[in-house]
Amino acid sequence: MSTLNALITLVVFPGGLAILLTGMIYEWVDRKLVARLQNRMGPRWYQPLADTVKLLAKEEVLPNGVHAQMFYALPVIALAGALTATLYVPVFGLRPAYSFNGDLIVTVYLLSVLTLCMGLAGANTLNRYALIGATRTLTQLFSYEAPFLLALLGPALVAGSWQIGEIADYAERHWLILTQPVGFLVAIIGLMGKLELPPFDAPEAETEIVAGALTEYSGRGLALFRLGKGVELVIGLTLVAAFYLGGVANPLLFFAKTLLLLAGMAAMQTLLTRLRIDQTVGLWWRYGALLVLAQYLAVIVWQGVMA
Amino acid sequence: MTAEREPFRIPIGPQHPSLKEPGHFEFSVDGEIVTQASLRLGYVHRGIEKGAEQRSWVQALYLLERVCGICSHVHATAYCLGVEKLAGVEAPPRAQAIRSLVAELERIHSHLLWLGVAAHEAGFDMLFMHSWRDRETVMNLLEGITGNRVNYSANLLGGVKCDIDQRLADAIRAGLDYLEERTQHYLDVVLNDALFLRRTRGIGVMSREDAERLGVVGPTARASGVARDVRVDAPYAAYRTLPVQIVTEMAGDLQARFIVRVRELFETYRLIRTLLDTLPEGELTVRIPRRIPPGEAISRVEAPRGELFYYLKSNGSDQPERIKIRTPTLPNFASVLVLTVGRQLADVPMILAGIDPCFSCNDRMVAIHDTGEGRDRRWTWEQLRQHGIEVYR
Repeated sequence: MSTLNALITLVVFPGGLAILLTGMIYEWVDRKLVARLQNRMGPRWYQPLADTVKLLAKEEVLPNGVHAQMFYALPVIALAGALTATLYVPVFGLRPAYSFNGDLIVTVYLLSVLTLCMGLAGANTLNRYALIGATRTLTQLFSYEAPFLLALLGPALVAGSWQIGEIADYAERHWLILTQPVGFLVAIIGLMGKLELPPFDAPEAETEIVAGALTEYSGRGLALFRLGKGVELVIGLTLVAAFYLGGVANPLLFFAKTLLLLAGMAAMQTLLTRLRIDQTVGLWWRYGALLVLAQYLAVIVWQGVMA
Repeated sequence: MTAEREPFRIPIGPQHPSLKEPGHFEFSVDGEIVTQASLRLGYVHRGIEKGAEQRSWVQALYLLERVCGICSHVHATAYCLGVEKLAGVEAPPRAQAIRSLVAELERIHSHLLWLGVAAHEAGFDMLFMHSWRDRETVMNLLEGITGNRVNYSANLLGGVKCDIDQRLADAIRAGLDYLEERTQHYLDVVLNDALFLRRTRGIGVMSREDAERLGVVGPTARASGVARDVRVDAPYAAYRTLPVQIVTEMAGDLQARFIVRVRELFETYRLIRTLLDTLPEGELTVRIPRRIPPGEAISRVEAPRGELFYYLKSNGSDQPERIKIRTPTLPNFASVLVLTVGRQLADVPMILAGIDPCFSCNDRMVAIHDTGEGRDRRWTWEQLRQHGIEVYR
């Protein structure tokens, strides 16, 4: 029985199919909102699903000069990383399926696997756009990763735990966006960087380097990478909502808060001009990381004073 | 991987998402910095000049209008003015005014289109979508006047074929009021949007000396402080009685090119309103002979992108002997190669878009000079075909 339960958890709900579908729906919400803000019609609700089905059905072209096993394995690893991360996160307002002390760090790094795989996928090919895209993807990874992690560690610090479930419990009683506004901002901007959404889409800036690291991918590989991104979008929104916006104790709160965050992200995507990669790095290391560190100090001092 | 000393080359084109038409740029980069740039043109050579020589003077007009899909009217105007000069006739004042009116409406549409494309190159799709939505206003006006959204065919040899009545004039005025309000907003964005400025201010700076040396034309030159505008320097059509204020900026960077084009829109709105208020009464056309007397004529007009140059030669028959067109993109191309060196790769599409390139308008026959042998080579059609098969196999 427990095996069956575990299998359902992994494959159907909340991991697996459910999260994949949610990822597609969230991708649609994002695209539709951006389109409406830009005075366009935007895609129909089933467009991401249709794209995925189409890509999965298409032939996957293996370019010359790539390491074939790596070329096929990277998208699978990327999606697997993102799906595994689902198990430790309170998606759909449920308790995390699995939990252990320190799972916050593991989750954050599982999320980075996707970006890492994309960087490797780009570096694996001989395509010049993909190589430049891979460089930029990895540069961006190194620039947002630390501030993003720091922004998630802020709540961990005040909750006194490294376990996502416990931090979420603590955050349900405290709206940390009020006490750690900088952390919230850095987290949400870091998430946009992680997902390579505008204005942080320099790694896949179509006007410069076509499709960036994924230029050579078509068919199944591209579909898996896209699915992975959708999953990562949901998980990232869940983490930020759970930590900063008063928790996601039930499905209603979960959808309300994550969609609210998504709407905010769509507005930012519309309003801002793409940053160059050097500007992105400068933004995060010069402002993001330093501001979060300053807030850390403030929290630590405050805790010392109170204690 | 490539050898260590080999420069890493990024090809942009002939097919690339940032190019709307085929051209081939090759940039050597060191990391993200461009160290060398080269350009190859000729992918969309259509043989229009030769085609025009095989048609009658009247037929050539409609062919030449199709040199450019964006600024078709200025091509027809330049051609008509040249032919009229050769024939020794002059279009009536009302026709001249309508020519200028349509040209200015076309300038609005071209500048708004450019604004959107350039914003898209910077990843600012909001501005792209909004400016293209507003561009529909002027497209509808042009359709109202001429019946066509592109390739308006407003010109005839010896005049124009469409008239402006009271209803049209009111529609144009109403459209301009809306566009003026929107343009004010775009000017605000171009001047003040903090993130957009990070992609435009101080990027691709071309000094006044460089602009003169490279011989750039149009808004690209005016953004570097070169007050050069054919409408002022050698007035034609209605501009002879209608003074145009030249808009210049001294900065010479991308932002200046944005500001110049957006400010030019305001000047264009003023010109159109004045033209509508002072539209002379009278005929729309004069008779022009079918056979144009022998002679040569040069005709210059200010296209939205800069100076458009036409050379016409007649041998007294009903067909042109030779037509030579130089579009403003050709003199501006050199500046891209100079300006991109030392800049970031991410700035390259912006700098390229900054000159508002129009590839297929610009592609002309180029004679191949073989410097090694010291004599020109001529290829037969068979050799050319064989070469093509070998190169693109």
